[in-house]
Amino acid sequence: MAAKKPKLAVWKFASCDGCQLSILDCEDELLTVASAVDIAYFPEATRAATRGPYDLSLVEGSITTPHDAERIHQVRRQSRYLVTIGACATAGGIQALRNFRDVKRFLSIVYARPDYIETLSKSTPIAEHVFVDYELRGCPVNKYQLLEVISALLNQRKPVIPNHAVCVECKLRQHVCVMVARGTPCLGPATQAGCGALCPGYARGCYGCFGPKESANPPALSAGLVRLGVTEDGLVRAFRSFNAAADVFRRESELHERPNP
Amino acid sequence: MSRTLTIDHVTRIEGHAKITVELDDEGRVADARFHVTQVRGFEKFVEGRPYYEMPAITARICGICPVSHLLASVKACDEIMAVRIPEPAQLLRQLLHCAQFVQSHALSFFYLSAPDLLLGMDGDPAARNVVGLAQKHPELARDGIALRKFGQQAIERLAGERVHPSWTVPGGVNKPLAAEDRDFILGELPIARSIARRTLKFFRGALDRYRDEIEHFGNQSTRYAALTGVDGNFAIYDGLLRFKDADGNLLATVKRPADYARWIGEATMPGTYLKAPYFKPVGYPAGIYRVGPLARLNVAEQCGTPEADAELAEYRQRFGRMPRSAFLFHYARLIEALYCIERMEQLLEEPDILSPHVRATAGVNALEGVGIAEAPRGVLIHHYRVDEQGAIRWANLIIATGHNNLAIRQSVKQVAERYLDGRQLTEGMLNRVQAVVRAFDPCLSCSTHALGLPPLEIRLLSAAGEVLHAVKV
Ligand code: SF4
Ligand code: SF4
Repeated sequence: MAAKKPKLAVWKFASCDGCQLSILDCEDELLTVASAVDIAYFPEATRAATRGPYDLSLVEGSITTPHDAERIHQVRRQSRYLVTIGACATAGGIQALRNFRDVKRFLSIVYARPDYIETLSKSTPIAEHVFVDYELRGCPVNKYQLLEVISALLNQRKPVIPNHAVCVECKLRQHVCVMVARGTPCLGPATQAGCGALCPGYARGCYGCFGPKESANPPALSAGLVRLGVTEDGLVRAFRSFNAAADVFRRESELHERPNP
Repeated sequence: MSRTLTIDHVTRIEGHAKITVELDDEGRVADARFHVTQVRGFEKFVEGRPYYEMPAITARICGICPVSHLLASVKACDEIMAVRIPEPAQLLRQLLHCAQFVQSHALSFFYLSAPDLLLGMDGDPAARNVVGLAQKHPELARDGIALRKFGQQAIERLAGERVHPSWTVPGGVNKPLAAEDRDFILGELPIARSIARRTLKFFRGALDRYRDEIEHFGNQSTRYAALTGVDGNFAIYDGLLRFKDADGNLLATVKRPADYARWIGEATMPGTYLKAPYFKPVGYPAGIYRVGPLARLNVAEQCGTPEADAELAEYRQRFGRMPRSAFLFHYARLIEALYCIERMEQLLEEPDILSPHVRATAGVNALEGVGIAEAPRGVLIHHYRVDEQGAIRWANLIIATGHNNLAIRQSVKQVAERYLDGRQLTEGMLNRVQAVVRAFDPCLSCSTHALGLPPLEIRLLSAAGEVLHAVKV
């Protein structure tokens, strides 16, 4: 049966490339994936650029320039499904820390001629600009979850991605809870699973790189963290990292911010 | 009137950039510039964060070589804590670093360069990728995938995650190596070594086909900078930063990381976020130096492992003691990959490698720290200042593509002088400009820690700053 292969495109906005490189990390599956889909646009891996429309667009990175704010609409128009991959595309990424600062000021400190550079004052997730069919979490994404999303959407089904907390993964892997056993602050209870409880596996607290889990309860977590000695400033920083612009985390960080910085 | 003509997209350099060529009143080339026009702003938004968060944050600068950022960052943090990390932790960090060089060089050679080198620059662009390579040279593509996987798996065994490892921490690493993981990596090692050997042999055989490229791609006379061991041999994790001139004379040895600023100045150029470091004793803009695989092999006396040294001797026999051509990056990378595999074996056989003593703990004992490590593309410097509580007050990051900024500008200018025809950017010139820029293998994720740039755009400006011609490639 010579059905036409679905066309896949990979787009990049402000990001580190880590998420799209996860595609190349699927070594064993790489050639299989490549034979099942027509990789129509993937600047990191191939020079080929086939015209749209594309059946599936994977978008990495956040929107930080006026040019990108327009470009994402073009991507949307050409794509049947649009999936954001990673914390940058889904929640603005680590660069969204600038959303809490005066960008103009910091540009002029680092760089001599800021007037040349066009940058928006905020780093925003893709979904603030266009409709997104599915958001894959993580900084970086989990490559097996990525394969699952690709194959689910190309087969017209819903991706099977758990939305419970990192805590559940700790239990599944029989990690000792770092918070209860060692008093190490951990965002696991409010963070979506997907990483396999990587940090607790190294006796470290989770710092929330997969972003808030569904119906997370950050205020309860904050209260627990305070009991472990985390300061108000510490709470602001804890919720303000790789998913700083994710609503639930942003609100929680703002709650603990002192009124006059 | 300016005419815009759009040709192929510059792909497979990681990230995108913009180049301008400026003319003087007589219409001659006055200057060229390499721009990075977007910023993620790491140096500023980290202010106020505790220093021990820096490794995890700065690893997100670049998904291609996160391990290099991690290591430069933890080394700067070690200085802030004023600790000497336990020997086994040193070994483990080196092991991680070698593994990342193997994976990154494999990515660069097999996924990004080999398709062009082997399928021909004029081949069908749609097939010029690792998949096309798999059809034409299946063994080579399989080798490439296997070699990258070897490096990535070693990273995963050590650090749990491949893109942004969270195992490396200030003061050491936070989990000893398990015997089972050591044995696993040792078990995979012979295959990786034979891939590196095979590929080198294959590449040497193909070299004659590239005589033209070797002669013309970034064949510049510049200074070189690289880390070396105290003995002057190849080093990537720790050592002394040394500068040599184009003839191989030693110009400077940076004894302590914190002294880098005595030798490296940083200029800013209008219109780009990428700063332009220069060799201070010579000044700006003449103080051009290059970093990266070519520079490392030029600055080092020897590699220090038997097979890589034999390969290095052969390389020097072919191209001299101080080769200049940026095309040789490919060759140098393969030698480095072989070195790293050999070095990994040595490290894994160290008696202390499984020791549980892998982490020193301390608070803030110094208000400043500098970490220097080699990234696959060249010297990487992280420099932090903190307050008494350990919150970052100021940070400066100098990345490989930055060090090469002036050299890139010089070679673009040379190409423009030679090939510019009147007020139009011709195809011949564009291809060559692309080729020299690509030869530097600029990583724009790292460049000012920005990404998501528009594709490479080349603009020709008149003396008055008017755009005469712009092309997106
Ligand atoms: S989400 Fe993290 S890993 Fe992915 S592109 Fe952004 S910074 Fe890189
Ligand atoms: S434990 Fe938390 S911070 Fe660590 S990888 Fe998982 S989600 Fe990310």
